[in-house]
Amino acid sequence: MDKKWKRALSVTMGAALTLSLVAGCAGGKKEEGQPQQGGQGGQKVLRVAMGLGEDEWKVMRSDVIPKFEQANNVKVEAVQVEAKDVVEKLAAQQKANKVEIDLITQDVNELYALVDRGIVEDLSANKNIIPDTAIKGMIEAGTFENKLMFLPYRPNVEIAFYNEKKFQDAGLTPPKTWDDLLNVARTFKDKEKVGRVAIKANLEIDNTLHIFDFVRAAGGDPYVLNDEGSVKAFTFMQQLYPHLSPDSKRANWNFMNQFLATESVYLGQNWPFGVNKIVKEGGKKEIKAYSGWRGPVKESHTLGGEVIGIPKGSPNKDLALKFAEYLMSKDVQETLVSKLGWPSVRTDAYGKVEDWQKPYFEAVNSALQYASPRGNVPYWPTVNQAILDAFKDIVVGGKPVKETLDIYAKKIADVKK
Amino acid sequence: MRGRWLAYLVLVIFTFVMIVPVYIMVKVSLSAPQDVMTQHPPYWIENFTWEHWSRMFESGNLWEPLRKSLTVATLTTLLGVVAAAPASYVISRMGRKWKYTFVLGLLFTRMFPDVGIALPIAVNFIKWNLVDTDLGLILAHLIPNLPFLAWILVGTFETIPRDLEQAAYIDGASRLEALRKVVFPLAAPGIAVGALFVWLNSWNEFTYALYLTVSERTLPLQTYYFINRGDWFQSASYSVLITIPVVIITFFLQRYLKAGYLSGAVKG
Repeated sequence: MDKKWKRALSVTMGAALTLSLVAGCAGGKKEEGQPQQGGQGGQKVLRVAMGLGEDEWKVMRSDVIPKFEQANNVKVEAVQVEAKDVVEKLAAQQKANKVEIDLITQDVNELYALVDRGIVEDLSANKNIIPDTAIKGMIEAGTFENKLMFLPYRPNVEIAFYNEKKFQDAGLTPPKTWDDLLNVARTFKDKEKVGRVAIKANLEIDNTLHIFDFVRAAGGDPYVLNDEGSVKAFTFMQQLYPHLSPDSKRANWNFMNQFLATESVYLGQNWPFGVNKIVKEGGKKEIKAYSGWRGPVKESHTLGGEVIGIPKGSPNKDLALKFAEYLMSKDVQETLVSKLGWPSVRTDAYGKVEDWQKPYFEAVNSALQYASPRGNVPYWPTVNQAILDAFKDIVVGGKPVKETLDIYAKKIADVKK
Repeated sequence: MRGRWLAYLVLVIFTFVMIVPVYIMVKVSLSAPQDVMTQHPPYWIENFTWEHWSRMFESGNLWEPLRKSLTVATLTTLLGVVAAAPASYVISRMGRKWKYTFVLGLLFTRMFPDVGIALPIAVNFIKWNLVDTDLGLILAHLIPNLPFLAWILVGTFETIPRDLEQAAYIDGASRLEALRKVVFPLAAPGIAVGALFVWLNSWNEFTYALYLTVSERTLPLQTYYFINRGDWFQSASYSVLITIPVVIITFFLQRYLKAGYLSGAVKG
């Protein structure tokens, strides 16, 4: 027993340590999310945190960062940090009084906590580095109570993806209006006995943004919530909901791609990154895109994308601002358009996207014409919860529209006082 | 007879439920997109491809996370066993009142969810320059695993009759020799179980790794990255890779997971 035990333990440990050694000694070029070697010969090191995909990191490392390093004789260490992890990581560093990240690029829909917890610098004094041609909505998205907390970097907007083949088989065209949308949802449901149109109804932030679009498309104000437009929007969503795909309840920015790719959903709105996943990598060329549908008053999209922030306590604030300015430059913006198909934050930056990307890029640019920022209010958590509760009660639960909206509108009105 | 068939049926169903998700994971990692991105995916791999695995191996983002995960899990286990085994033996040989006080103390430390204490721990580790280091993560992993291991081993040592130690003393063994030649070999199955759990806990650990990592990621963090990026095939490949060492370690240590190990050790 003793020998057997020793032998087995030795073999196990030996195998584990050998694997460790092999793994540790194995080569491999550092790419996405891995830091580069620190500065040499007194070179300053700028640490930047971004949330990017593998292809995006390649462009960042080969086409964007090196030029800045050469021009400024610095080393840029770029690390991968997902948007939802930024807050806790920076909070921990600030509590330890040892901030190691100089600059972050952050999703515009994840900014509230950074500002509310005092994690980022007020950049109002640095407004002059924003180019005149920057999209105004992106500046607004980074402004909290008249203070510029973030700099514009990358606009984004949801577009409507649809399965062209399934639409053709059903003799349908992509919906342009709410009436069309209801008709398409009904037709698929009748034909296949299960809904094939999805909205993000997961009772999370994705859901809130879709509700914003519906309310604004009807001329309503989501921050009021019981005006005529809001009533129209919730009434329509209540009509639409029974014809939607059951996947709507789980649909978020990630699952929506999966539902479209696996053909459990034939029409759904999502962020454009889905193009790479579904069409480029998945080879599903039948998935097409267009800007989306209009409501009774207008077409409306909530402006998404990313902005640049400087954490409080950044060891290299001046250099970080210089890098921020560089990221907003025409040269970099055109690189990002051409290499990644990202829409530019500047109206004077143009790039040439690959042929296969063109229709999707046009859909994004078309949707951007109707895009407006979500708006930053100090009582955002209350608004978000009220909107989602209203959706749950009215759209999912079937409660009367106006009376229920009045209840939640009062909650928002009370917190505004 | 019927009872035996029922037991087999339950075992087959249980095994099937456990294996199917793993099979799907392996299948996705080895299938061409057209096998996965379809309304009715086939049960078997129809269009086999190594492409997703090749991408993983060529990305330059595999070896360092793999090394870090293996190193941290193995050293956490070794340090945990070295620290917890003697302590657990001492606790097991205490009087009932003291023993249960210590055991309850150990259990009390497990009442706090990791996510609740990860931030204050991270703050201190940042101050001590332990972020992005193997040592920092090993120490962090010992926080939940050491009490857990000690709790398992106290139970293990309790089952070893004191008479066996007494017999060793009569034969001229010192206390340390009795421990080394009698107690610890008999406790090997318990130690193996404890070590297995600690290794697996450390290998799969996510919360502390997330807080204590800026750039030097572990394998679970790497998998999380691909899941976050909506890359199904890379997520599946990394998930399969994470599973392989678990299967190997479990295969080696499962032989010690035997019941009735001490039956007949002491004559009544």
